[in-house]
Amino acid sequence: MTTKQQNQVEKIHLETTVAVIGGGYTGMAAAKTLAQNGYPVILARQENDGAWHDTSLTGLDGLKTLENQVADNGPIDILSQSTLIEAVGVPGDFTLTFMSEDRRVEKKAGAVVVATDLSSSPLTFIYGLTPCASVVSLSELESLLASETGQKEIGDKKKTIAFLVGFAHEGNPLLMQRVLESVRKIVEMDGCTAYVYVNNLKVAEDGLERLYKQGRDNGAIYFKLQTAPTVIQNNGDLRITFYDPVIRNNIELSPDIVVVEESLVADQQNISLAEILRIDLGPAGFLQKENVHRLPVNTNREGIFVVGGGREIQGLSKSLADVDNMLLQVRQLIGGGEKTVAAKAVVDREKCTICLTCYRCCPHAAIYWDDKAVISPAACQGCGICASECPMDAIQLTDFTDTEMTSRIREAAAAETKAAAPKIIAFCCQNSAFEAGTAAGLFHYDLPAGLQIIKIPCAGKVDINYILNALVEGADGVIVMACHTGNCKSESGNTYAKWRINDAYRKLEQIGIPKNRLEFATLASNMASDFARIVIDMEKRISQK
Amino acid sequence: MIVAERKPFDEIRQLIKGYKRVLTVGCGTCVAVCLAGGEKEVGVLNAELKLSQKTEAEPAGFGEATVQRQCDMEFLDEIQHMVGDYDAILSMACGAGIQFMAERYPDIPVLPAVNTVFIGVNKDVGWYEERCKACGNCALGVTGGICPVTMCAKSLFNGPCGGTNQQSCEINADQPCAWHMIYTRLERQGRLDNILQIFPANDWRNQKPQTLVQPGYEERKASE
Ligand code: SF4
Ligand code: SF4
Ligand code: SF4
Ligand code: SF4
Repeated sequence: MTTKQQNQVEKIHLETTVAVIGGGYTGMAAAKTLAQNGYPVILARQENDGAWHDTSLTGLDGLKTLENQVADNGPIDILSQSTLIEAVGVPGDFTLTFMSEDRRVEKKAGAVVVATDLSSSPLTFIYGLTPCASVVSLSELESLLASETGQKEIGDKKKTIAFLVGFAHEGNPLLMQRVLESVRKIVEMDGCTAYVYVNNLKVAEDGLERLYKQGRDNGAIYFKLQTAPTVIQNNGDLRITFYDPVIRNNIELSPDIVVVEESLVADQQNISLAEILRIDLGPAGFLQKENVHRLPVNTNREGIFVVGGGREIQGLSKSLADVDNMLLQVRQLIGGGEKTVAAKAVVDREKCTICLTCYRCCPHAAIYWDDKAVISPAACQGCGICASECPMDAIQLTDFTDTEMTSRIREAAAAETKAAAPKIIAFCCQNSAFEAGTAAGLFHYDLPAGLQIIKIPCAGKVDINYILNALVEGADGVIVMACHTGNCKSESGNTYAKWRINDAYRKLEQIGIPKNRLEFATLASNMASDFARIVIDMEKRISQK
Repeated sequence: MIVAERKPFDEIRQLIKGYKRVLTVGCGTCVAVCLAGGEKEVGVLNAELKLSQKTEAEPAGFGEATVQRQCDMEFLDEIQHMVGDYDAILSMACGAGIQFMAERYPDIPVLPAVNTVFIGVNKDVGWYEERCKACGNCALGVTGGICPVTMCAKSLFNGPCGGTNQQSCEINADQPCAWHMIYTRLERQGRLDNILQIFPANDWRNQKPQTLVQPGYEERKASE
């Protein structure tokens, strides 16, 4: 019943092919960049990929040009009309199954890049309007402005164009940017007029203020209104009215075209991609959760990256920056196809009873199984959640083994302190509370004389056994300190810790030990004074007994 | 798998009262998988027991061990060298394992630390559902893979009772009617005529302690 201590360092081979899912502008740019940097690419496209793209930006390759460049690039294997249906494996060795043109296709890839686009839906109906040649969506106007015939149609006939923005929904800087770009293009055409009816002008983002001024200087007229103006559509005939509180009168205008804002939403596909790839689905259907520890293009799984509109509402320039970031991450992971990795967590195969608990709990999907659980050293982030959950104590973190932790706890509980000072053991996550605690010491905050800090890789590593044994060994108080909700580097380490504390509370109650000897707190690394307050409070509390 | 849950702490505390040295023994199979009695739970229970003994003048001592399966003599033999040092064994295996332990070590009390609850499936970590009552006469081949004994509140073999209520069982609106489920499953598979098959009354006399010898092993048993 001894635990084998393994300090495994392994040389692993990684597949250098990268699979890009999504063939819109961002997906193609990703494929091109990867191919140019020597990574063979699988580009999984769907029929309508690229249907929406941010056409407002100038100075970029057109979609067609990019398409040609991608097609000309040797190492890009294009799977058209393809949907991902299955994904297994670990970083450096994923096996992806697609349905491509009604055939099952299996591909190997070392990394996966999800590059789904945003999709836009017109909000015409919310304004009670019917789409026609003179009532168009923002995307339709952009296509008109991008084509020669469209420009002629608007420019030669010196058209007056009205925009409706921000009355149907909150809006966002990207949408605003697209409106402002279109307005600029229109007022630059000789004799054309632009009216913008807007609720809340969102020009916070870089460059938008300038764009806004540029348009206004060229004659664009902005009406900032609390409520939407009344638009009357009589076949092709349009009349827009609103009440101006300053001149205390209705103002009516008759534009040739009304452009209606649209909403930008996450691709529907993201939901199934998240499930198949076992990555977190964030708010509003984007493939990332808000997490301060997460690098721009990373997901909760190593080797699976998300760029562009797949992760948030963003325009092309930001998406292209994502592509560059992604290349850095791919290089770091795959490099030239070989690397040495040190296992952060290992399974004792004799003890493992293959209950699948670890597989189900690992937030980084780093665990799979043959006849026993196996941890991928390339994927594991060393959070220790699996080790704390394993019912057979079969998983050990190489830097934080149970044996080491147990003796750390014993030493901490036995440490000499001033006669009456209560002994407090604080388990502190190295990503947050441990730093806060260290800083509290350095800045000479008042700390309890009997405080002992035990560093843990993530609150997820706090085994309920550590908590109970700290009390058994003689600690008067135990505190577990984790990152704030939503900020855990391993997404759910703090959640698991919280559940275990609650379980421990139930147990203490049954045993008849005051619950206030145990506490759970969340902290950020810069909260040294809060750290001090929490531990001092506990000292006061348990000294009162 | 057999599913069990930890007994309330107070009950365990009562059970071990008066014993000075207790050996807590886990089982590394079913009860480990359902997170009730594997090596981790042994450690947790012992920590709880030690904490509760802190106020005693003479706190009891606790030892721990976990064997692969308590329902196999060979594995039970593995702790023989320890048993002599204790005056009670607290077993965290299912009822079968506990009894086998008691049989293997008849000279000292073997006490249960878990309640064995059912034969079931693993829905998610820590979440199990009953699926079989070991009735000894499996009907699943006819009932579309849905057990009428377990899933029907009255364990009816031949169709629903009068209480079936728009897909629910009469005991509770959240409890689906087993026979409604069976009907839907059979319909989906084009095997609805199965529903007309009449099961003779189950021989509940079988509900006495049973022995099972797999057919290929009958001679082996006879030769013992
Ligand atoms: S949790 Fe432990 S026993 Fe269960 S599969 Fe993982 S390593 Fe094996
Ligand atoms: S230590 Fe964390 S990341 Fe590594 S396998 Fe365990 S749960 Fe997954
Ligand atoms: S003793 Fe019970 S719990 Fe343990 S393996 Fe046997 S049947 Fe399963
Ligand atoms: S009929 Fe139900 S209770 Fe009987 S053996 Fe089959 S599954 Fe188990």
